[in-house]
Amino acid sequence: MIELRHVFKRYHGGADVLTDINFTIEDGEMVFLTGPSGAGKSTLLKLIALIERPTRGQISVNGRDLAKLSRRRIPAFRREIGVVFQDNKLLNDRTLFDNVALPLIVRGVTGDELRRRVHAALDKVGLLARARNHPLTLSGGEQQRVGIARAITNRPPLLIADEPTGNLDAALSDEVIDLFSDFHAHGTTVLIATHEKRHIERLRKRVITLRKDHSLEAA
Amino acid sequence: MSGYLSRHAQVLLATLGDMLREPVASALAIAVIGITLALPAGLFTALANVQRLSTGWQRSAAFSVYLHRQTPAPRQIATAIGRLPGVKSVAYVSPAAGLALFRRLSGFGPALATLHSNPLPPVVLVTPRRETPSALAQLTHALQRVPGVASVQSDLHWLERLQAGLALGRRLALLLTALLGLAVLLILGNTIRVAVMNRATEIEVIQLVGGTDRFIRRPFLYAGALQGILGALAAFVIVEIAVLILDGPVRHLADLYGSPYRLQGLGLHGLLWLVLGGGALGWTGSRLAVARELRRRRLA
Ligand SMILES: Nc1ncnc2c1ncn2[C@@H]1O[C@H](COP(=O)(O)OP(=O)(O)OP(=O)(O)O)[C@@H](O)[C@H]1O
Ligand SMILES: [Mg+2]
Repeated sequence: MIELRHVFKRYHGGADVLTDINFTIEDGEMVFLTGPSGAGKSTLLKLIALIERPTRGQISVNGRDLAKLSRRRIPAFRREIGVVFQDNKLLNDRTLFDNVALPLIVRGVTGDELRRRVHAALDKVGLLARARNHPLTLSGGEQQRVGIARAITNRPPLLIADEPTGNLDAALSDEVIDLFSDFHAHGTTVLIATHEKRHIERLRKRVITLRKDHSLEAA
Repeated sequence: MSGYLSRHAQVLLATLGDMLREPVASALAIAVIGITLALPAGLFTALANVQRLSTGWQRSAAFSVYLHRQTPAPRQIATAIGRLPGVKSVAYVSPAAGLALFRRLSGFGPALATLHSNPLPPVVLVTPRRETPSALAQLTHALQRVPGVASVQSDLHWLERLQAGLALGRRLALLLTALLGLAVLLILGNTIRVAVMNRATEIEVIQLVGGTDRFIRRPFLYAGALQGILGALAAFVIVEIAVLILDGPVRHLADLYGSPYRLQGLGLHGLLWLVLGGGALGWTGSRLAVARELRRRRLA
């Protein structure tokens, strides 16, 4: 599903953020990505979701070499990936419904199907009753769950989540990870960046660790 | 298909909503576009009116053929002139009819009453078949050779000068249209650029969830076209008001010349052109502006 070969990343004018990263994630796998703050976890996820480009190296996702993907194909590629962002990226002047509906609207889904799928996604994260509210009237943890609902509303074959439990208490945090685990059980490939060792120990899934020097720790 | 249409209707409504949320800024932008478009539209209207003035003149007659006063059978001469090749129609004005007309139009009625005899010659008004300079010159020659003809007076030179002036005016109007069209393009492009910047977050999120450039562009294209069309309507109103203001004096002047001439506005045809032009400028201006902004905001 995901394959990285000798991937390097350096932001414009900065130092190396990722150096010589190599790993493969199989179809249907669930993997945790950990490492200290600033190690490059978010950057790595952005490279896989084609939000940033690597400075060097090869990345292929779903059998496609990202370097060879033409600009016109990028939107279609992004629709196959559900991404939960560390900073949520919600539209504060839109209702929860509209936020969660956006990935469907850009694909032309309308009417009853749109309503049904948005409600299902909001229901899964326990926010259906607040569909008409705006993000800023929600707690930090609730906003994070809106981001998760938006990522799953498309039922993508690959889910990428950047610290999806950062603002949640232990019980809610477990619930959210169990939600991802449930998607994994239904065949979705899942990649989650997290600091919380608890989940890693609880679920016993493969772990990829980025070191402080931005290189990969041998598994 | 119906989903596609309803989506377009939604975008259009949202666009209208955005404009209503900033009523002053929108009204100002539309007013500026209206004034800018009103200049070339007004110039074209003025040219069309001058053109109508000259063609009206031509239609009535391009030649006044004066016959000798003592000619025994002036009507037969008029008929003969009517059979010349290149003549479309003739109108015979007898000395008596000429005097009556002069009396009515000149205001010299009482003075003319003291005349013992009619000083006017018989006149044949000739309308040529073709109005090209060479055809008119040829006809002048032919008319001069008809027996009984004293002199041929043509409006030819005056018309030629007017036509040359009109051609220059049209060229100037086109130049002005191109320049001011460019100005409208820039004004609209800038408004749309600001609108894009106000929606930077939204655009980023749409890109992140897989929205195409087309999808992002659509509402801005609608907004641009809508502003262009509203600006065109404003220009139409401005030109029509100007015509209304000038109509009174022009009517008075025409009456003094005994002419039924009246000013004409842009009309339905002109309105259509203005709206099409405004809409196209708005669409193009926002397309260029959005394309540049999207290039700048490309994520990867
Ligand atoms: N857009 C950017 N431009 C320049 N430097 C950046 C940019 N984004 C991240 N960085 C730098 O890259 C390094 C890695 O950042 P990244 O966000 O990937 O770390 P992280 O592992 O996700 O950290 P955290 O756990 O705090 O989220 C940091 O030193 C950061 O300052
Ligand atoms: Mg991060």
